[in-house]
Amino acid sequence: MVSIAEVSLTKVDRYYEYSEKDLAIEVYKQLETKLKERPKPDIIIVSSGYMESINKSTLSAVKIANYLGFKGAKTLRVENGDNGGAAIYTAYSFIRSGLANSVLLVGIDKFSDLNSKQLNDVLATNLLHEHEYHLGLTNHAYAAILTKLYMKKYNVSYEYFTNWPIKMHDNAVENPYAYLRFKADLKTIVSSQLVAEPLRIFDTAARGDGASIILMTNDEIVKKYTDTPVYLDKISGASFDYSYDLDLPSLKLALKEINYSLSQNDIIELHDSYSIIAALELEELGLEKGKSLNEFESYQVNYSGGLKARGYPGAATAMYQLAEIVMQLRGDFPGRKAVGEKGIIISTDDLATSSYVSVLRR
Amino acid sequence: MRISPPKNWRLKETLYSVTLGKCENCGNVMYPYQPLCNSCGSTNVKKIVSKGHGKLIEYTISYQSREGYEKAMPMAIGLIELDEGIKILAPLTEAEDIKEGSEVEAVLRRITADSTNGLIQYGIKFRVINNARDNR
Ligand SMILES: [Zn+2]
Repeated sequence: MVSIAEVSLTKVDRYYEYSEKDLAIEVYKQLETKLKERPKPDIIIVSSGYMESINKSTLSAVKIANYLGFKGAKTLRVENGDNGGAAIYTAYSFIRSGLANSVLLVGIDKFSDLNSKQLNDVLATNLLHEHEYHLGLTNHAYAAILTKLYMKKYNVSYEYFTNWPIKMHDNAVENPYAYLRFKADLKTIVSSQLVAEPLRIFDTAARGDGASIILMTNDEIVKKYTDTPVYLDKISGASFDYSYDLDLPSLKLALKEINYSLSQNDIIELHDSYSIIAALELEELGLEKGKSLNEFESYQVNYSGGLKARGYPGAATAMYQLAEIVMQLRGDFPGRKAVGEKGIIISTDDLATSSYVSVLRR
Repeated sequence: MRISPPKNWRLKETLYSVTLGKCENCGNVMYPYQPLCNSCGSTNVKKIVSKGHGKLIEYTISYQSREGYEKAMPMAIGLIELDEGIKILAPLTEAEDIKEGSEVEAVLRRITADSTNGLIQYGIKFRVINNARDNR
């Protein structure tokens, strides 16, 4: 069995004074104070989508292992765009297979080192590079087209989508790790900056810097480190091409692989890179198509505030979700508290061509 | 913004024309062309140079720029269904009065320029040739 011994994360923010190294050291220091003894990870896995594009730094896992003093550890960086779920899957696989007894999983991306035009260019490398990237397209434009297709198909107005950011900002106000800790009302949202019509800035993820660190072990050694482990029961995943059919085949397949069915008792964190992607994810989870953003409030979804308001630190996002769910299950999440025995992490890239679903329990 | 001449040369069938792959086994159409069908795995794929004619399914006006593409802002971007039955995302040009359902055709246009050595990137945009409203 795969256990989460401990988690540590930093508030998502603009850390102009901190490098990736500083952030990694900061979260590691916090982690160490919470463990009964210093970890001896067999492998350091770094989840970063864009470190080499943003900071011209490759070999990031080797560097982080050295910063943290884990000389001799095996190292690996997992790049799957901003889908850090791939790194969780990798860590899980190492432990399940017996190749490692413990894994230190580090999520990091540092978006505020670039201005928004430069960052749009980096994130557009997720698009089909043979034409879409060269033609100057953006991920925002793709999400805007999906939003319009959805409005037409389900006969909803733009206001329908504002339900998501309003709720996410409500949740984030309570979360000390959240980037945008303020309430947003309908009027603020509908009059905010137009990104790609009808998409406004409140329909997009709040890009920020962040680092999160997780000590994952097998359950023989987890008690060396903590008395309150959380278990990573299952993880599934799938990838597909872009779809204009208002569904997310990668998530559909990942959910099917583990036979997941939605429950109001589950504690869920999903990758709401755009309001439209939140709607499509909720609908793959089982909410009614064309109505999910009117109905999601009866489920325990994104009590962190989500990418919308907790903030979006690239491929570290899934490590934030993992840390938040672990704290929720233990009952020590410092924000809005959920109640339940099971946690679900939906990790995707920003346009959800790849999905990983992790299931955690106490 | 750096432009790579070898890469542009390699991508000439995608950047300067709409060259599709059509699987002779299952009928799947691919853009850009590739010699293996990503639906059934067959290597019996025919290369087709499309006329670049299609229908505008949906569009957006994008106000957030990428470095190097500032001059194209705001950028109209369309979801186009080509006559061959494949949907692609591409910039629209000469687009003052865009309507969903309009007929569009591919045209070669300047996309951006390399600020370091003056190279110009060309590529395919789509223009409206028959406004849907005028059709009714
Ligand atoms: Zn085929």
